Amino acid sequence: MTESTAEKVQEERRDLLKWLLGGSLVAWIASVAYPILAYLQPPKQNEVAVQSIKAGKLSEIELDSGRIVKFGTKPVILIRTNTNELKAFTATCTHLDCTVQYSKEKGIIWCACHNGQYDLTGRNIGGPPPKPLEEFRVLIQEDEVLISKNT
Amino acid sequence: MKTIWEKLYKWIDERVDLADLVEFMGKKYVPIHRHSIWYYFGGVTLFLFLIQVVSGILLLMYYKGSEDLAFESIQFIMSKVQFGWLIRSIHSWAANLFILAAVIHMFSVYFTKAYRKPREITWLTGMFMLFLGMGFGFSGYLLPWNELAFFATKVGTDIAGAVPIVGKPIMVLLRGGEDVTGATLSRMFGFHVAIFPGIFAVLLGIHLVLVQRQGMSEPIGHSESGGDLKTMPFFPNFLLRDLLLWLIVLNVLAILAVLFPWELGVKADPFASAPAGIKPEWYFLFMFQSLKYIPAEVLYIEGEILGILLFGLAFALWTMVPFWDRKSNFGQENKVVTYVGLFVVAFVIALTILGWTA
Amino acid sequence: MSMNTRRIRAASIFALILFHPLVSFSQDQCRTCHESIEDPRALAFAADIHASNGISCADCHGGDRTKEDMEEGMSAGAGFRGVPVGDAISDVCASCHSDASKMVHVYKSTLPLDQVEALKASVHGQQSVSGRSRIAQCTSCHGAHGILPRSNRKSPVHPANVPTTCARCHSNAGYMTAYDPSMPVDQYQKYRSSVHGKLNQRGDSKVAECASCHGSHDILAAKDVRSKVYPINLPATCGSCHADAVYMRGYGIGTDQLKEYSKSVHGVALLQKHDIGAPACNDCHGNHGAVPPGVESISKVCGSCHALNADLFSKSPHKKAFDTRGLPECETCHGNHEVVRTTDQLLGVGKEAVCAWCHKDDTKSRGHIVAATMRQLADSLADAEDSAQRLLNDAEQKGMEVGEARFAARSIRQARLESRTKVHSFQESQFRDVVEKGLSAAKDVSAQAEEAIGEYHFRRWGLLIASFAITLLAVSLYLLIRRIESRQRAK
Repeated sequence: MTESTAEKVQEERRDLLKWLLGGSLVAWIASVAYPILAYLQPPKQNEVAVQSIKAGKLSEIELDSGRIVKFGTKPVILIRTNTNELKAFTATCTHLDCTVQYSKEKGIIWCACHNGQYDLTGRNIGGPPPKPLEEFRVLIQEDEVLISKNT
Repeated sequence: MKTIWEKLYKWIDERVDLADLVEFMGKKYVPIHRHSIWYYFGGVTLFLFLIQVVSGILLLMYYKGSEDLAFESIQFIMSKVQFGWLIRSIHSWAANLFILAAVIHMFSVYFTKAYRKPREITWLTGMFMLFLGMGFGFSGYLLPWNELAFFATKVGTDIAGAVPIVGKPIMVLLRGGEDVTGATLSRMFGFHVAIFPGIFAVLLGIHLVLVQRQGMSEPIGHSESGGDLKTMPFFPNFLLRDLLLWLIVLNVLAILAVLFPWELGVKADPFASAPAGIKPEWYFLFMFQSLKYIPAEVLYIEGEILGILLFGLAFALWTMVPFWDRKSNFGQENKVVTYVGLFVVAFVIALTILGWTA
Repeated sequence: MSMNTRRIRAASIFALILFHPLVSFSQDQCRTCHESIEDPRALAFAADIHASNGISCADCHGGDRTKEDMEEGMSAGAGFRGVPVGDAISDVCASCHSDASKMVHVYKSTLPLDQVEALKASVHGQQSVSGRSRIAQCTSCHGAHGILPRSNRKSPVHPANVPTTCARCHSNAGYMTAYDPSMPVDQYQKYRSSVHGKLNQRGDSKVAECASCHGSHDILAAKDVRSKVYPINLPATCGSCHADAVYMRGYGIGTDQLKEYSKSVHGVALLQKHDIGAPACNDCHGNHGAVPPGVESISKVCGSCHALNADLFSKSPHKKAFDTRGLPECETCHGNHEVVRTTDQLLGVGKEAVCAWCHKDDTKSRGHIVAATMRQLADSLADAEDSAQRLLNDAEQKGMEVGEARFAARSIRQARLESRTKVHSFQESQFRDVVEKGLSAAKDVSAQAEEAIGEYHFRRWGLLIASFAITLLAVSLYLLIRRIESRQRAK
C-alpha cells in the first residue's frame, strides 16, 4: 500500500518534472531563437555607406533646380544649374544651422531663416552667414548621380 | 513519444554504432575531490567559445571590413538591425568572459599539475589556444574601427615591432604596411574570422579528443592517500552539471549584454592625435604596464626590447612546464612550481590593477 | 625783414647762448645769405618753430653756418649734403626727434620720441614709392621750411586742417591707384557731409578729424587688427570721445551708447566673440559720412544685414503706421544701441511684450488679438521643441540610438528660427504656416523618440522573460540531476 503510493508520488513528480523540463526547454529555445531569427531579417532601410550616396537619377532632376538629399545624418543640397552643371554642397547654413534651398529666381543658394545667400560655388555672398558652404563632389555613373565627400 | 526516440536511436545506432560511444561514456568517471570545481572551467570556456562562433557568424552577416564602412556598419547593426545591439553586445562580453574563463582554466591546470605526463599535448594545445584567444581579442578589438581600438592597435603592433631582427617584419606583416591603415583592418578581419578560427578548430579538436580519451587528471597524491576513491559518471551526472553551469553563464551573459551594452565610441581618425589614457584590453594590461616600469636602458639593451624578450622567455618557459617539471611527472609534489605559479598570479593581478588605475 | 622776424631771431640767438653752449656765438650765414636773395624757403623758415629754437639750415642740410663764403660753407668738406631725398628726410628729423638727449635735455620738449619709429611701422612707412622710399615722410604732412606747432591754426596738422592735408593724397584717385587700387577716394567728400565734417569746417577743433580715429604717425590699414578702426577696436575708438561725458558736454547727445552697445547682441558678438561680421558703430552710422540714421531709414540700415526681416516689415501694415506716427522702425521694438538678443517674450501682449504698447487690451482690437495668438503659436512651438528634445535626451540617456530623430529635430529648430523672422510680416496666416510646419516635425520627432524609449523597455522585459526561461530550465535541470543521482544511490 505505502509502496504503491510512494511510487505513485514518484510517478507524478516525474511527470511534473518532465513537463517542467520540456516546457522550459521550449521557452529557452524560443528566447534564444527569436532574437537570432529577428536579427537575420534584413532591416527595412538600406545599409549605410556615408562616403558617398546615390542622389537619384539624372533624368529625374530638372534643369535649374535644387533638392535636399540625406548624406549620412546631414543634409546635402544638390543643384542642377541652368547651365546644366551639377553641384552639391552641405545644406546646413553656416549661420544658425538652418537648411538652405536653391532659389531659382536669383540663381543662388538661399537660407529662409535669415536670408543667408551663397553663390553657386558655395561662397557666402550676402546675409549673415560667416563661412562658405562645404562643397561635395558629384559624379555621374550612367544615369545615376553620386555625391561623395571632397577629399 | 518514447517509441519515436527509440526508433531514431536505433536507426542511427545501426549505421554508426552508437552503442560503443555510450559504453565508453558510461565507463568514464570524473574524480570527486576538493578541487573538482576546477574541472568545470574547461567546459565554460568551451561554451563561451561556441557562443563566440555563433554570435560572430551572425555579426558577419552585416559587418563590412573596410576603413570606410567598418564603423558605420557596426552602427547600423546596433541601431537598424533587430537585436543587432544584443548580438554585438554578447559577442563583446563573451569575448572577455572567454579569456577570463580560459585563464582560470589554465591556472587551475597549472596548480594541480594536470599537465604532467601523459597530458603534455593537452597542455600544449591548451596554451596555444589561449594565445590564439588573445590573438582573437587583439584582432577583434580593431574591427569596429573606433578611436580607442585604432590607437590600441597602433601601440600593440609598435610593441611587436620593437623585437630585435624579426620585430619589424612582424609589425609590417600585422599592419599590412608601415602604418595602421585600412589595410591593417582588412588583415585583422582576415585573422579574426578565417585564419585564427581554422587553427583554433584543429587545436580544440585535439584538446577535446585527448580529454575524452585520457579522462580527467587527478591531483598528485589523491589516489594514494584517499583510499576510497569517490567518482561520478561523466554521463549523465557530470555532463548535466556542465549544462547547468552553462545555463547560468548564459544568463549572466544576457544580463551583462542588456544592462551594460558595449559602447561603440568615436570613429577612428588616423590623423587625429591620440586620446589621453589609451589602454589595451585588460588581459594585455599587465604586460603593457610592466613595460612602463622597465628603465629605458639596462646593460646596453633597450628597456622595452628587454621587457619583450623577458616576457617571451617567460611565456615559453610557462608553456614548456611539463618538460622541465620532472618531479610532478614522477608523481611527487613540486613546491617550486607552485611558488612560481603563485608569484606569477600575484604579479599579473598586481600589475593589472596598477595598469587599470593608472 | 620785419620787426617780428628780427625779434624772433634775437630771441633765438638768446636761446642759443643759453641752451646751446656748443654752438659758438656767431651769425647764421646760411640764412643771412639766402634771405638776402629772397629764397622763399629761407623766408618761410623764419616762421618755423625750429628757427625759433635756434636750429639752423645747416642742421638739416649740413655745411658750416659760420662760414661767410658760400663755396666754403656749402662744401663737402664742411659736411654739406644738400636737399635730403626720400627716407633721408625723415632720418634728418629723427636725428633730433628720436633723440632724448637733444629733445628732452636741450630743447625741453614734451613731444613723444617715437614719432618717426611709428611712422616707419605705419601703413605709410610700410608702403613704398617704387621700393626706394616710404610713401610719406615727415615733411609730407608737416611741411619743410615753415613747420608750425600743431596748435597753430595755420599748421597743416592743426585739427581744422588735417582733413585737407590727408585729402591732398587720399582724394587723388590717380595717385591712390598706385598704392591701393581698391581703396575709395571719397572719404573727404563724405567727411564733409558728416556731422563731424561740418562742425570741423566751422572751426570746431574738438570734433573728430582723420587722425582722431586713424591715428597720426602710427596709422595702420583698417584691416590690420591693431588698427584703431579695426572692427573690434572701433567701438572703443568712437567711445574715446562719445563715452566721455565731460568732452561731449555742449553737443547735446547722450554718452551711454558705448555702454549700451557693449551689452547688446551686436556688441557681445563683436567685442566678446570677435565675430567681425557683427556691426560696429560705423556699420549703422557710416564712418566718414557719420550721420545718425533717420526714422524711415532705420529699416534700411538694419535691413542691410537683417534683409528678410526688413523686407517683411516693409510689406507689412506696420511700415505705414510707423512712418506716419514718426516711430523709428526697427528701433521702436528692438531699441538701438542696446539691441538685445530677441526672445519669444518680445511677442504678444504680456508684460515684457512690445505689441501691447500700441495694441491696447481691447476685445475689438484686432492687433491685440493677433499678437496674443501669434505668441500662443510661438509658445506652443517652443514647448513642442522642448518636449521633443527632452524625449530625445531621455532616449539617449537610456543608451538608444536616436541619430535619425536628432536629424529630424533640426527642422523644428529651423521652423522656430523661421517663425521669428516671419513675425515681421505681422500676418497671422503667414506665421501660422511656419509654426505648423514645426509642430508637425516636432510630432514626428517625439514619436520616434517614444519608439526608442519603448524599445528600451522592450529590451528590459525581453531580458526578464529570457532570464526567466533560462532560470526555469536551470532549475529543472538541477531537479533532474538530483533525481538521477538519488536513483543511482538507490541502486
